[in-house]
Amino acid sequence: MALVDDVKALIEGALPGSTAEVIDEGGGDHLRVNVTASQFEGMSRLEQHRLVKNALRGRSDTGELHSLSIKTSVPE
Amino acid sequence: MTEPTLKDKVEQLIAENPVLLFMKGTPEAPACGNSMRAIAAIEPYGVEYAALDVLPALEPLREVTGEIADWRTFPQLYVNGKLVGGADIVEEMNESGELAELLGVEQPEGEPMSAKQELKADNPQQSPPIQIER
Repeated sequence: MALVDDVKALIEGALPGSTAEVIDEGGGDHLRVNVTASQFEGMSRLEQHRLVKNALRGRSDTGELHSLSIKTSVPE
Repeated sequence: MTEPTLKDKVEQLIAENPVLLFMKGTPEAPACGNSMRAIAAIEPYGVEYAALDVLPALEPLREVTGEIADWRTFPQLYVNGKLVGGADIVEEMNESGELAELLGVEQPEGEPMSAKQELKADNPQQSPPIQIER
């Protein structure tokens, strides 16, 4: 599975009901994710980002994922 | 008396520096795009800040900041002893005005400083680079 698809699956798996848009910013290992999840309601940005980062620990620890840019939002 | 651990040293840095940025490289020569973004976000405020280059001890520092603030990626900005976040959060707060409020200064006017803009060589608000020994 390509990393982009893998990352999307990991985030949406960790946050049921969420939508993760994953964009390769270059090289295949610099990714940008836009995550919309109702679970984020009431959470600080730090907490929201931690949730996303923790879902991807496996990929960042191996070095497959070099850098990740995160944008979070709550559904309208 | 036992040798201070890396965690002790990091906790001390956080306590002693009201604005502290853990980054890859230095403010004059950031070594990664996200570190450049963090510098570009805070520089226009003109507040004094300390910067620590994490590259000489990257994995140990990831472990330490992971324990201290449950955050393992760099850059990381701490203000008044608390983790603010990485480049994404710092940029968002810059745009929203929250960062100005947190730093206790006016929102800088005009275009946000471009990450590619040359930093002044003689930068009065820049504390001397911190060297951390492992």
